Amino acid sequence: MPEIQNFTLNFGPQHPAAHGVLRLVLEMDGEVIERADPHIGLLHRATEKLAESKPYNQSIGYMDRLDYVSMMCNEHAYVLAMEKLLGLEAPIRAQYIRVMFDEITRILNHLMWLGAHALDIGAMTVFLYAFREREDLLDCYEAVSGARMHATYYRPGGVYRDLPGQMPRYQSSEWRSDADLSRLNEARAGSLLDFIESFTQRFPQRVDEYETLLTDNRIWKQRTVGIGVVEPERAISLGFSGPMLRGSGVEWDLRRKQPYEVYPDVDFDIPVGVNGDCYDRYLVRIEELRQSNWIVSQCVDWLRRNPGPVMTADYKLSPPSREEMKGDMEAMIHHFKLFTEGFCIPEGETYAAVEAPKGEFGIYLVSDGANKPYRLKIRAPGFVHLSAMDEMVRGHMLADVVAVIGTQDIVFGEVDR
Amino acid sequence: MSKTRGWLKSFLLVELFRGLMLTIRYMFSGKFTVRYPEEKAPQSPRFRGLHALRRYPNGEERCIACKLCEAVCPALAITIDSEPRKDGTRRTSRYDIDLFKCIFCGFCEEACPVDSIVETRIYEYHFEKRGEQIMTKDKLLAIGDRYEAQIASDRMQDALYR
Amino acid sequence: MSDTASIEIDGRTLEAPRGAMIIEVADRHGIHIPRFCYHRKLSIAANCRMCLVEVEKAPKPLPACATPVMDGMKVRTASALAAGAQKAVMEFLLINHPLDCPICDQGGECELQDVAMGYGRGVSRFSERKRVVADKNLGPLIATDMTRCIHCTRCVRFGEEIAGMPELGATGRGEHMEIGTFVEQAVDSEMSGNVIDVCPVGALTSKPFRFQARAWEMGSRDTVAPHDAVGSNVHVHVMGGRVKRVVPRENEAVNEVWISDRDRFSYEGLYDEERLLEPMIRRNGEWSACGWEEALAFASRGLRSLVSRHGADAFGTLVSPNASVEEAYLLQKMVRGLGVSDIDHRLRDADFSDQEQAPLCPSLGCSLAEVETRDAVLLVGAWPRKEVPILNHRLRKASLAGARVMVLNPADYEFNFRVDGRIVVSPDAMVDALASVLSGSAAPAELCPGVREVVDGASHSEDAAAIASTLADADHASLLLGPMVARHPEGALLRALARALASATGASLGQLTEGANAAGAWLAGALPHRGPGGRSLERPGRDARSMLRDARPGYLLFGIEPELDCGDPALALSAMRGADFVAVFTAYRSEAMSRYADVMLPIAPYAENSGTFVNLEGRWQSFEAAVRPPGEARPGWKVLRVMGNVLDLEGFDYLSAEEVRGEVESLVEQAAPIRAAWRSGERTPWPREALCRLGSVPLYAADAIVRRAPALQQTRDAAFAGVSLNSAAAARLGLEDGARATVRQGDACIRLPVFIDDRLPDGCACLPAGVPQAAALGPDIGPMHVTPA
Repeated sequence: MPEIQNFTLNFGPQHPAAHGVLRLVLEMDGEVIERADPHIGLLHRATEKLAESKPYNQSIGYMDRLDYVSMMCNEHAYVLAMEKLLGLEAPIRAQYIRVMFDEITRILNHLMWLGAHALDIGAMTVFLYAFREREDLLDCYEAVSGARMHATYYRPGGVYRDLPGQMPRYQSSEWRSDADLSRLNEARAGSLLDFIESFTQRFPQRVDEYETLLTDNRIWKQRTVGIGVVEPERAISLGFSGPMLRGSGVEWDLRRKQPYEVYPDVDFDIPVGVNGDCYDRYLVRIEELRQSNWIVSQCVDWLRRNPGPVMTADYKLSPPSREEMKGDMEAMIHHFKLFTEGFCIPEGETYAAVEAPKGEFGIYLVSDGANKPYRLKIRAPGFVHLSAMDEMVRGHMLADVVAVIGTQDIVFGEVDR
Repeated sequence: MSKTRGWLKSFLLVELFRGLMLTIRYMFSGKFTVRYPEEKAPQSPRFRGLHALRRYPNGEERCIACKLCEAVCPALAITIDSEPRKDGTRRTSRYDIDLFKCIFCGFCEEACPVDSIVETRIYEYHFEKRGEQIMTKDKLLAIGDRYEAQIASDRMQDALYR
Repeated sequence: MSDTASIEIDGRTLEAPRGAMIIEVADRHGIHIPRFCYHRKLSIAANCRMCLVEVEKAPKPLPACATPVMDGMKVRTASALAAGAQKAVMEFLLINHPLDCPICDQGGECELQDVAMGYGRGVSRFSERKRVVADKNLGPLIATDMTRCIHCTRCVRFGEEIAGMPELGATGRGEHMEIGTFVEQAVDSEMSGNVIDVCPVGALTSKPFRFQARAWEMGSRDTVAPHDAVGSNVHVHVMGGRVKRVVPRENEAVNEVWISDRDRFSYEGLYDEERLLEPMIRRNGEWSACGWEEALAFASRGLRSLVSRHGADAFGTLVSPNASVEEAYLLQKMVRGLGVSDIDHRLRDADFSDQEQAPLCPSLGCSLAEVETRDAVLLVGAWPRKEVPILNHRLRKASLAGARVMVLNPADYEFNFRVDGRIVVSPDAMVDALASVLSGSAAPAELCPGVREVVDGASHSEDAAAIASTLADADHASLLLGPMVARHPEGALLRALARALASATGASLGQLTEGANAAGAWLAGALPHRGPGGRSLERPGRDARSMLRDARPGYLLFGIEPELDCGDPALALSAMRGADFVAVFTAYRSEAMSRYADVMLPIAPYAENSGTFVNLEGRWQSFEAAVRPPGEARPGWKVLRVMGNVLDLEGFDYLSAEEVRGEVESLVEQAAPIRAAWRSGERTPWPREALCRLGSVPLYAADAIVRRAPALQQTRDAAFAGVSLNSAAAARLGLEDGARATVRQGDACIRLPVFIDDRLPDGCACLPAGVPQAAALGPDIGPMHVTPA
């Protein structure tokens, strides 16, 4: 009698729907998944180990590259951990800037997720529209930090620079009429804050558009409703966080439950799902887009009214301004020492977590009193979610794997780190 | 009643037509894409692109081989050799940036006490041969010379914030 | 009243010796107090005020470096009052400090930066002009940027208290205070480089290291300096596989926290263009580079064919006293394995007649640290300042503590401490002078026959008797024989006299050897008459001088340049030129060498080699290579190991230098005490009509590395002026200062300028050895004719 074996399918690591370098080994009975075994590590860059060999500040740029679609949120967790050990609090304006950019980052991330998720399941248009809005937000990133993705903008004690007073504009060209140019530059006439404000005014309608394309769409619903259902208790015991947890109906958000920065002072709601399936998680994230937009507009409002320092004035931890550095001995010494040796963090250990777009992104930092971490551990939400992959896809069809990968919002920068 | 409405909506493909209406509307609205490379997206004066080494207006190179950029570079992309020049001043005899290693974090520019190493707006470049990714001192100075006006005005605009 | 006081610093109760300063107690217990002027090896100046601390019941903050502890004292180093005072002092110090950090070599290892970071303000409130001070020229070793000076006066105190030469001093007051050399001259101390370490800021930095590297980019490796028998412990700072600088490694028992300039700046010589980078062989008069395999086969064939033709007399082996224990041991093992017994490391020695009685290895007679506690020291033929600077520092400390240091020297050398008895005689009269000291001693010891006659014939002098009685009266006396004794043609007689004097006065007898590892070479058996660990030999070989005098058919040289390192360069050169086959293990390829050698094998010098040195107190100090040797050069012990195998000799399968060291150590442990009948040397007839040449080796001509260190060669100690005479001798010979003279030794004859040096005794002419200008001449100490050119 011939031995009957399940069919084993290698999904990825070059599959376009694998969101990077995920390799899934799928055991299949016909088209039904019996077992899904995620293989990871193809994007391992030893970020944790590297951090042990560099002064604290030099690792900020590497945090951007963990979850590379929610850059500033990763930085935020890292600088929060340092600030906790240092007993340092950033100036209030810096905290507002950080919250604003965290939420901008959340929108960026969710737009990326929305576009890619929809594309994976077969809806092309949303991807294009989502990238249109991402473009505006990336311009904000660039305007404030000089880089469109890997910002290296947050620092222990604040942020590197204040928001620019002028937004860069489109240049005239023979390809564009003056009227067209002024339409493009309409929102860019003023400062970065003006630009962000106009974005927050435009954005709710854009979200309506995405919803028009998806929320009621029968194909979308057929692909997502009832797929990858996770019961609330199970979601908690699996260690889910972020929209993955809230989609199952658990009201858990670090911004409210363990508030940091100025989140207690801003108003927003925590959307939760009911059924714990892909569709509910979609709805949660769509609502988060609206809530984040609302937070951003509150921050813009506050930042407009409250100028002030964006960096701690303690030159033992943050370099003095360039003008001071060039004219004054104390400042020169502090500049020199901070850029060569960096600062030392008192002995101790801490865990700092932020509500990153994908869930709880945490940094566990151990300091032995030196100028570089003794140990740095990254708690990446994606890793936890991916480990539930088997459970979520078991019994589903092969095509549903793509929907589950999409709904998990996996990014390999943070999973493999 | 609502059940009938729901059935009717579903039967008439209402939500699909709504979606199609949206996309058709966009067909006739203004474009938000740019015609790259003839036309380019706006760029911030803080942009962190290709590096350059600057000179003082009198033509003297700014770099004094203090090696702060080398020390602060997280990716160890910068290699500097220093020595006394004939006039006794501290100068680099080698200043290499390996662009494959560089992560464009901008720390070198932050660290430079004499505004010598800067990151410019240039982002369109490519390498054809192995080894071309090493930006030597000559190449960096040449970039600095060529784009000095732009570099200086960008620093000027941002001086308030640094 | 007890000897200790109980005090409280920052809430910790500590026991401290009465009279100790607060800062010492705090340092001992790991409580950091910022400071600039305080240095534990220097006197207390208390002029920087950085170490102000709060002391309970004192109305004002007190300087911790100058406040002695008292019972029940309560000190707070970081209270608001102390921190405020420290912050204020820091602000004042930085008022006049230039914004030089980016171009300052001290940046990154600067105490001013560190203390400013830790205790200073973040921004300055001072916006007036800063002062500027003109830089001083402190010679080729030390670069100055005097504007950066914060007037801690550590360098001034170093000069006065450690170097014994008040070269640097402060002039002016307040804003106008400046540190400078008293006479605007180069700093001539042989320890001057230590001011670089002592200076807390970038005012005094190393000139050869100027702008070469930053403190944070260099790796630090530990090794032992190879230029004198002290074996100073050093850190070698390495970047990109090159030695960038050398700094002292603290070892209270050896070099404390100092090193000599020679040990500090010699590393430059490692990168001389004469470095031999690949093995080279000469065929038909043409040199060509080749691989190791070929070169070793060539060298082995050459030695084998010499052995097959001449048997045990086949070749002479000369090994540098700077070779490590491992190298010396493997070399003698290889040579003796071939049945040849002519091997020696005593290249400059002239009298070997008492070598059988010599102890297992030469030693100082006491430990280096004990030198400080001597009550009386007699130096014979020694100028430790320019031979073993670190030992000189110990002698100086002894002298300052009240010891009476006396000298019997062939020239009236300057010492940087008080000399309590001085006999200066021409080398040919040293035997008589020492004999008169011995005859002046109250209790003449048992004398062996040769010595008895010399002592009986000695004249009596007051000075000599005073020296003898001082030695005899002292509880801890030392008699130290310098290299001039070893090189003396009547060395054996001098040693016998010294031995008798030591036993008569109860002094310990010590020998200051040349090279880093002479003691190790003795123990490893690089000697013609003894094997490793002092084993007696069936067939003793020839000593270094006889090997050259009875020219051998072949030579094997290890790490030496015979024309500069041997006591009789003319003899050495002619022996080399006359030989059929000369194989050389060397780090450098010199012009002379390429004329006489047949094969040159590149070996790794100091910093690139691992091994062991035995210093003059008998301390075994092992070290690891700090950098890889350049090119094809390899550590000597590895080359010898492979060559032993190429020669098919037994027992050359070592895996590490430690294994070789272990073997030598066990041989030394088993060594039997030396019991040989006591015997004195012979008197040498001195031609009356000739002058006696005094050929001391200048400080910076000691070995091949130092001779190639450019910065050291620019110092005054390295300057070669010519032949020097005292004015009486010059007048007699019709010579004037600056005139040119013809100098003749045997057949060798050269023309040199003359200068008058009244430190020399009559009948003596000084012409340094080990310098290329004298490489054509005869023995270091011997008759020499000087006539107007």
